[in-house]
Amino acid sequence: MSTAGFNSQNGTGTGQTYTNGPSQNPVALQQPPGVGYGMNHQPAYNPMQAKVLGPPSPALYASGPYQPVPPGPQLGSYPPPPAQPLLTRPQIGVLPSHTPPQSASPGPGPRQAQATPPAQATPPPPAVTSTSYYTGPPAWQYAAPWGPAPNHVNPAAAAPPHMSHGSAQLPGPGAPPTSIHGYPQPGTAPPPMNPPPPHTYQPNRPAYGPPPTAPPAGPPGATGTPPPPKVDAQCWRAASSARPPTEPDTQEGDVECPGDVAGNGPQAPNSYNHVDNRMAGAAQPGPPGRHLGHYPSLPPGYQNTLAPPPSSLHPALQAATLPYTQGPQPYQQPGGPGPDQLSPSMAAMSLQSGTPEALRVVNLLQERNLLPPAPVPAPTPCLTQDLQKLNCSPEVFRCTLTSIPQTQSLLNKAKLPLGLLLHPFKDLSQLPVVTSSTIVRCRSCRTYINPFVSFLDQRRWKCNLCYRVNDVPEEFMYNPVSRSYGEPHKRPEVQNATIEFIAPSEYMLRPPQPAVYLFVLDVSHNAVETGYLSVFCQSLLDNIKALPGDSRTKVGFITFDSTIHFYNLQEGLSQPQMLIVSDIEDIFLPTPDSLLVNLNECKELVQDLLKSLPNLFEKTMETQSALGSALQAAFKLLSPTGGRMSVFQTQLPNLGVGALQSREDPNQRASAKDVQHLSPATDFYKKLALDCSGQQVAVDLFLLSAQYCDLASLGCISRFSAGSVYYYPSYHHQHNPAQVERFQRDLKRYLTRKIGFEAVMRIRCTKGLSIHTFHGNFFVRSTDLLSLPNVNPDAGFAVQMSIEENLDDMQVVSFQAALLYTSSKGERRIRVHTMCLPVVSSLSDVFAGADVQAVTGLLACMAVDRSVTSSLSDARDAMTNAAIDSLSSYRQSALTIQQPGLLAPACLRLFPLYILALLKQKAFRTGTSTRLDERVFAMYQLKYQPLAFAMLIIHPALYRLDDLSDEGALNINERTIPQPRVLQLSVEKLSREGAFLMDAGLVMYLWIGRNCHQNFLSQVLGVSSYAAVPEKLCLLPELDTAESQRTRALVSWLRDQRPFFPSLHIIRDESQLKPHFMQNMIEDRTESALSYYEFLLHLQQQISK
Amino acid sequence: MIFLTVIARLADGLPLAASIQEDEQSGRDLQHYQSQAKQLLRKLDAQSPDRCMLEAGNMNFCYFISQGVCCLCLCDASFPKKMAFGYLEDLHNEFCEQYGKRVPAVTRPYSFIEFDTYIQKTKKSYVDSRARRNLSSVSTELQDVQRIMVANIEEVLQRGEALSGNQFGVKPQPVDQLSDSS
Repeated sequence: MSTAGFNSQNGTGTGQTYTNGPSQNPVALQQPPGVGYGMNHQPAYNPMQAKVLGPPSPALYASGPYQPVPPGPQLGSYPPPPAQPLLTRPQIGVLPSHTPPQSASPGPGPRQAQATPPAQATPPPPAVTSTSYYTGPPAWQYAAPWGPAPNHVNPAAAAPPHMSHGSAQLPGPGAPPTSIHGYPQPGTAPPPMNPPPPHTYQPNRPAYGPPPTAPPAGPPGATGTPPPPKVDAQCWRAASSARPPTEPDTQEGDVECPGDVAGNGPQAPNSYNHVDNRMAGAAQPGPPGRHLGHYPSLPPGYQNTLAPPPSSLHPALQAATLPYTQGPQPYQQPGGPGPDQLSPSMAAMSLQSGTPEALRVVNLLQERNLLPPAPVPAPTPCLTQDLQKLNCSPEVFRCTLTSIPQTQSLLNKAKLPLGLLLHPFKDLSQLPVVTSSTIVRCRSCRTYINPFVSFLDQRRWKCNLCYRVNDVPEEFMYNPVSRSYGEPHKRPEVQNATIEFIAPSEYMLRPPQPAVYLFVLDVSHNAVETGYLSVFCQSLLDNIKALPGDSRTKVGFITFDSTIHFYNLQEGLSQPQMLIVSDIEDIFLPTPDSLLVNLNECKELVQDLLKSLPNLFEKTMETQSALGSALQAAFKLLSPTGGRMSVFQTQLPNLGVGALQSREDPNQRASAKDVQHLSPATDFYKKLALDCSGQQVAVDLFLLSAQYCDLASLGCISRFSAGSVYYYPSYHHQHNPAQVERFQRDLKRYLTRKIGFEAVMRIRCTKGLSIHTFHGNFFVRSTDLLSLPNVNPDAGFAVQMSIEENLDDMQVVSFQAALLYTSSKGERRIRVHTMCLPVVSSLSDVFAGADVQAVTGLLACMAVDRSVTSSLSDARDAMTNAAIDSLSSYRQSALTIQQPGLLAPACLRLFPLYILALLKQKAFRTGTSTRLDERVFAMYQLKYQPLAFAMLIIHPALYRLDDLSDEGALNINERTIPQPRVLQLSVEKLSREGAFLMDAGLVMYLWIGRNCHQNFLSQVLGVSSYAAVPEKLCLLPELDTAESQRTRALVSWLRDQRPFFPSLHIIRDESQLKPHFMQNMIEDRTESALSYYEFLLHLQQQISK
Repeated sequence: MIFLTVIARLADGLPLAASIQEDEQSGRDLQHYQSQAKQLLRKLDAQSPDRCMLEAGNMNFCYFISQGVCCLCLCDASFPKKMAFGYLEDLHNEFCEQYGKRVPAVTRPYSFIEFDTYIQKTKKSYVDSRARRNLSSVSTELQDVQRIMVANIEEVLQRGEALSGNQFGVKPQPVDQLSDSS
């Protein structure tokens, strides 16, 4: 029967897998082919009405009232606030009175009481359909002035909330606004099926107000769970909802939705559970404070078995789940230990009225040292221990608000964006893999069974997304892990929030494709000058055996300058044969086969080619570049199978289709207030990318160039085909060794990392929530389905959400991302991540759950879109407003005692700092000379990098290196890795006697102070004096000293944690790169930007307006 | 021309290996045929005739069953029947040799997808008329080609029950009618 094997990596390893035996005539499934791309183009997202009247634009900063900070040595020091009332309150510690008024009142009691047998209560609310369609709220709709928002005037949104449920019918069915890619999409006509919804403000919901003291909610049963499936009226998936939910075969174009659904068994009593739980000290009836019942709907007979299962897991399973747990939260007995012993989030819910740490009021103007000494951890959602134990790792799945507001109006009040940040294909060290002929999914919404469903009894389970009651299939009754029968709730599917299924053939439109790699190489004069070709060829030679694949793997090569060159690598040839096509206007393949060849069989020819390529074009004088035609040729070559196209380009394409002109005026880099040309100059690359996407081809772009290449246009080829973009400005094999090393390391990772082919990802969420805007590289095929011709483990995604229907009766909501892909070994697999979060009804609770990094990451994505669709200054204003609005809302609605200063809840204390960091980030900064390509690349990175890396790019980490010690060091594989404190990004923190490392994600700077300790210079850098530090040093010498070892251990540990290679620059005061280092001193004032303190004053002024 | 080749387990129709025509020029939409092939493979069982040709418009499905493994291909109506069955038998022999013992145990679809490489090579030698001359074996091994049954795919798929010899409108056809036209 079925099973779970635990494979080490993605299951490409050979972990043991149990199986369910031969599948018995699974139902046939015919799916329409293809991707139907072009279906769903929405013209970018709604540029939020520019708040012209709003807060001061950056230009105002310069002339603002608080300018007195003299430039120069005082950088970064806090001047006394000019006109600021002296804030004498010494420490704004715990103020009981700050307890969120609302949160305390509803208390856990009533809510808990609502746990009801929901199966009965299903009042089908009328007009569900109407409310359920997402109506395209303006981009940053959370900023719509619901609450007091004195700082901006927005006529459109100023309308009072007058619309009711019924009136939300604006867009017709199937007209979801995906407003996906922020870029304008010239060439693609919006499909008839999904006309862009009118960009109106979201019809307002009747303001529920801060759900007041939750009325004791009548008899439990009456609270009624949301109506069952009702055909998913809200279903944005028009296609699937159109067909009867019972029909087993989905005819949907979505490969990810096959038939065979099944149900589940009950929460069977299990004595082990009881025992274990007692031993763990968990009170049987559940913890005090808000108990978010996992199985609220158990019939009476099962009530006493509420005991959560996890502790008696199979050891292997336990191991699998362990890494995800956040460390147990202390369970509290009622009346037990005080709030100080509670974890922040638990405390927030505790009956006691102490203020939770997350809500501790911080006066930002007074508290200077806000940065925690170590990287900021993700907040833990306020769930019961049992649920949280099972929850998805924050590294994979993160939400901007770990407590979901009950209503859209509550969300609007908080003025924080609601969205998810995902890293779905992350390399995992432990991943349960299940082979089973039946994958259990909800019959109605197709959700995969997961740890957060509830079992009504032995034979039925209730979907946690749409609440439909499903049957447990017979096969699911057997638990392969424990080899026992009748314990469906112990199956690995129900014990792991991250799991992978081996897909049956219903999930395949065609036999799994082989791994196919095509390399498209620029060999123009310019390219040869950079010398990249030999590095590339050597890298591929070195790693050719490590390319992911099996005996079917194919490779091919195309080179191009003003003509396109193909290479016949047919088995049996004595050497590769070059075929030149000079008719670039109407490109054709010179021979039908042998251009893509089986790597195993033709390895020698391939190696020959790689050895000879660098010399082949050594003397070329050809300066033109017909990139467009080369891409078309490559597309033709790959389209029958699909695969990966890796394009290496070193200049602006200037010949044939897709030719571009330089659009950058170097003189305007610094001066222009608004940056032009952030959007593509032509739709050629986007259109081609969509063609590629339709044929399961992804295009990765390596841009190595000293000059402007118009990345804004070229990048589209990767964005819409789910590729990745690498950029090596000023790459040169001799002049820029740091870039060469970076390129080499990145290539190695690129060539050898895992890869998934012909993939799609669908993100589902509990009914009532709806997903609207996606960020990352992909094509949106239908409203919640992303087409990913390739998926790689280094890609991150983000989505925005809104609350369409009130989540009144829900204690928790869930999100599920399902990624269906073909492994490089030809296995079709589905990786499923499910995250569960609590629903809250008070504004304070919403604030308490804010994940400041996720909020910042999502805002950055939104701001990138805004920069392109509207303008950079608009995006900058919007970011500033985000900080103003949320803090002002906090002050006015969540605080009970007003006090002077700029107040923020502790969990948001870093928000203004991060916003300021964004404003000073390459992507959004103004007033500093920034190359257009570098700016555009920075924007790509913000959208593409998983949150952890995006945060480093936004707010670098600064460490002092000359006094590293082993105190608090990590010990990994017998290596000691020192853990220095993270310092504020201010010159104030530097000292001439020291040496400081700044880790900015893609690059690291080691700054050596003028009077740096002799010890550091000799023991770490191996030089006798400061003056002897070489000008362009990017390597730490390997010295046999404790200091050197510590320093190198730290640097390499930092590097190892990310999938790209940051180059290290060792700089002195005189170095050319010093300005780059200084630009990252975010808290300091620069000629064109405010210091952190000034920025805070600005926020305060806006808030108190 | 051979467009589609699937090797499946007879017991449950689980696809074990497959190869799709990667010729861009042909540009045909094979999706419909792929799903017909899937359905057909589910219908076949031990009672089905071990060699059969099913007409599908201007294409023919041919299959060959032996040792619990079914080899199926889709080819032009003009493709010689003899060649088609020679091709299938060739695949079958090699496949059973390589993977035969593991067939009953596998559960994952396309477990032996790597056999694709062999399929493609073999296909080339059967499709390419120059290479075909080398296939002397074909003529001798398939004397029985006249007795191969012919039916229509739609009719077969519409029947509810599993495929068996009796249900076929058995109409043996002379080989010459389908003879080498390429």
